[in-house]
Amino acid sequence: MDLFGISFLGLNVVPIILVIAGLVALRMFFNLNTLAWMAAWWVGLYLMLSNGITVPLPGSIVGMFMGIITLALLVYLTTSGEDLEATKDFMVKFFTDSRYSPALLAFLVLLPSLVAYNVYTGMTQQPQAPVFGRTIHPPPPTDITFKGKKIDLVNDDNPYRILKETDPDAFAAHVANGRKVYYQNCVNCHGDDMGGNGMFAHAFDPIPASFKDPTTIAMLQESYLFWRIAKGAPGLPDESTPWSSAMPAWEKFLSEEDIWDVIIFLYEYTGYEPRAKEELH
Amino acid sequence: MKNLTILLISLFLGTMFAQEAIMGTEAQRAAGKVIYDAQCSQCHGYDGDAKSVGNDYLRPAPRAFTSGTFKFRTTESGELPTHEDLKASIRDGMPYTSMPAWPQFSDKELDNLAYYIKTFSEDFIDYGDVKPIDMPSAPSFSEASAERGRVVYEENQCLDCHGNLGRGDGPSAPTLVDKWDQPIRAADLTKRWTWRGGATREDIYQTFVTGLDGSPMPSYNIQPPEDQWALVDYVYSLGASDEADYATVLAATLVEGDFDISQGPAIFDNVPVAMFAVAGQVIEPGRAHYPGVNSINAQVIINETDIAIMLTWHDMTAETEGVNGPNMQVPDDDVLNEPIEALISDAVGVIFPSEPTVGAEKPYFMMGDKSNSVDLWFADLASSDCDLYVGKGTGSIVQAESDIRIASSFEDGKWTVLLQRSLASENGISFTPGTFTPIAFSVWDGWNKERGNKRGLTSWYNMYVPPLEQVSPVGPMMQYALLTLLAQLALVAYFRIKYRKKEEEVA
Ligand code: HEC
Ligand code: HEC
Ligand code: HEC
Repeated sequence: MDLFGISFLGLNVVPIILVIAGLVALRMFFNLNTLAWMAAWWVGLYLMLSNGITVPLPGSIVGMFMGIITLALLVYLTTSGEDLEATKDFMVKFFTDSRYSPALLAFLVLLPSLVAYNVYTGMTQQPQAPVFGRTIHPPPPTDITFKGKKIDLVNDDNPYRILKETDPDAFAAHVANGRKVYYQNCVNCHGDDMGGNGMFAHAFDPIPASFKDPTTIAMLQESYLFWRIAKGAPGLPDESTPWSSAMPAWEKFLSEEDIWDVIIFLYEYTGYEPRAKEELH
Repeated sequence: MKNLTILLISLFLGTMFAQEAIMGTEAQRAAGKVIYDAQCSQCHGYDGDAKSVGNDYLRPAPRAFTSGTFKFRTTESGELPTHEDLKASIRDGMPYTSMPAWPQFSDKELDNLAYYIKTFSEDFIDYGDVKPIDMPSAPSFSEASAERGRVVYEENQCLDCHGNLGRGDGPSAPTLVDKWDQPIRAADLTKRWTWRGGATREDIYQTFVTGLDGSPMPSYNIQPPEDQWALVDYVYSLGASDEADYATVLAATLVEGDFDISQGPAIFDNVPVAMFAVAGQVIEPGRAHYPGVNSINAQVIINETDIAIMLTWHDMTAETEGVNGPNMQVPDDDVLNEPIEALISDAVGVIFPSEPTVGAEKPYFMMGDKSNSVDLWFADLASSDCDLYVGKGTGSIVQAESDIRIASSFEDGKWTVLLQRSLASENGISFTPGTFTPIAFSVWDGWNKERGNKRGLTSWYNMYVPPLEQVSPVGPMMQYALLTLLAQLALVAYFRIKYRKKEEEVA
């Protein structure tokens, strides 16, 4: 027979007896100081609340009770002798003096009602859908294969960036191509102004990144963006939930040059600078 | 003579100032051009002619400012918009098009942009003072007025384009083209959040009094004035809210006794509706840049043995002839008004992981992947079956044996599809009561030649299947209340016994 299944008056007898026995044993065989003794009470009461009742208490109610218990123990611990006397005096009056009868009655009615209400909301509330965290910027692989060609994400950099200094006209042509790539492919999700609010953005979870946000492209290297754009959601590691992101794998649509160009365009449009390689080392 | 000179000079200055009020100063237009070239020309074209890199991929198409035609105005039909109208269009954007709001611009920047936009059309140069229409203040909404409005709606043929219940499915709707010969859809009047002229009752008034120039939406002079507000109230009553209330969870309702989808949609009465946003498939080849459907509603019921799902969505026309299938070939990229001969039927799909998911890991939401497959419940609405496919990615979708039953109907621009199966099945996923299951949807609009991977789709959401036994909260409520009361009474008893006695002794 399952010992832990024995119940009486809606209470699981075995855990409760175990906890009480534990406390008694502590008292009898160990010379605990007050603090340790309080801690033992705290743990004991917690075990009773979470295991001692047949229909498991909703977390919120255990929390509520533990809050009250913690408060009570704290009051007990911190009150010096005199305060303790005063508190005790008040409690004695409250519980015994007929002047306080109406308040005592209210206390006796209100607390159980509150508990019942809490149980009700806990049980009728629709359960919350599971929420899983996701790493937004996982560490990138060291290299990827792009249409049969190996791209070294550690050492390779945007081959066209240098043109900004050496050949501004050629650079402008790359910006213009990047702009075309963006407005033909990315605008639906990342938005007309890069704010991440394109016309389909509201239908996706996680939502498309805002490139205006200082925590996206402003703190990433261009080779990191190349990886994210080329491989999209399916290229993400598990901690970044590749199965739920709508970010396409652009290697299916775009050439290597198109991708470096759209990266240049993202920085030119937002005014951010890519994070430099040196900062890594 | 002197007087005449003064007159001439003041006339000249006068027109110059008037001109300046409309067109701004050289410096303002130049400042506007800088923003425009950087942020607007990709769509509207450097010369304001909408010849741009984005144009072919965006529908509705970006406006050609050279046409001098503007949809959203406070001025009469055929007139140019006021300066403030232009600023408002830019600031508040065009929802459900590629041009969302631009709240980041200061009032000055908006002024400069509006001045610059005006330079594209000669019409602005000698447009005198355009006056907004008189905007009477709206009387408060009343049911009686909305009822009268229905008659006004019918009398003015709004129904022809917008349909009997305003779902954008009127008999002329499929034939509509705009001034630029592009097919255009009559707005769905039940979804105010998709409108670009605003969702308030005043906005509705403005829309039909001024018309949307360049689109088939005419302007109306409805008399007497009460009838105008009656029409406003009726149109307003067609939609339940101003904002889209998109859901992320689809909770099934446990019902008592048997149900069968042959009984029709009534078995879903009082079951909560979850609306999910649908986007074009723009992720893999076979892209759909201009999907026909932008949201889908779902409801689910279960009993001890079965699960039934009801899907509804608005569609301009029902394509109930032709073929459709998840494996049909489509061009890599969307082709505007794709000229194919074959009849394509409407279709809908529900996607579940084939196996219960563990932790966060799921199949790829598009159509599964190599390591985790999905079940696609696929209903080609030209047939009377619901097929089952197992997807391991969009290139690998294989048909399996299906025991899903289906009933479907189309009325007043709304598809209703009912699907039913046993909770547990040998053919595909089994649903475990008391758990969440990932769920996603796809919709194919046959009118739009959507088939295969060219479709409207949603992300993963959660479907909750409740436990088969609903525990009544009354027992536990009593139990905990009693326990608390007992503890309180014990406390009272303790104090009373211990201290009353003492007091007696003292006394
Ligand atoms: C179908 C919608 C969609 C389209 C189209 C799309 N993206 Fe994304 N993108 C997303 C989503 C969603 C995310 C956020 C989730 C993620 O990181 O995968 C994202 C993330 C990104 C990131 C990562 C940002 C960061 O901070 O890590 C980059 C870079 C990016 N997109 C670039 C692009 C480019 C360039 C294009 C066009 C060639 C594009 N995207 C088109 C949906 C889209
Ligand atoms: C991503 C493409 C895109 C960009 C960028 C864009 N627009 Fe638009 N714009 C559109 C589309 C599409 C429409 C037409 C919507 C419709 O017809 O309903 C439009 C319409 C307009 C209208 C016409 C409203 C009317 O009453 O007809 C104005 C004015 C306008 N845009 C101004 C701007 C300005 C100013 C900018 C730059 C700050 C800008 N647009 C940037 C796509 C864009
Ligand atoms: C000839 C067809 C036609 C008729 C008749 C018609 N409409 Fe429209 N209506 C349209 C089209 C098309 C649009 C969408 C225009 C667009 O997308 O630019 C529209 C849009 C609208 C909008 C939404 C505007 C927005 O802010 O986006 C409202 C409201 C509207 N119509 C109300 C009415 C009312 C009320 C009537 C009758 C008095 C009416 N329409 C008659 C074709 C029509």
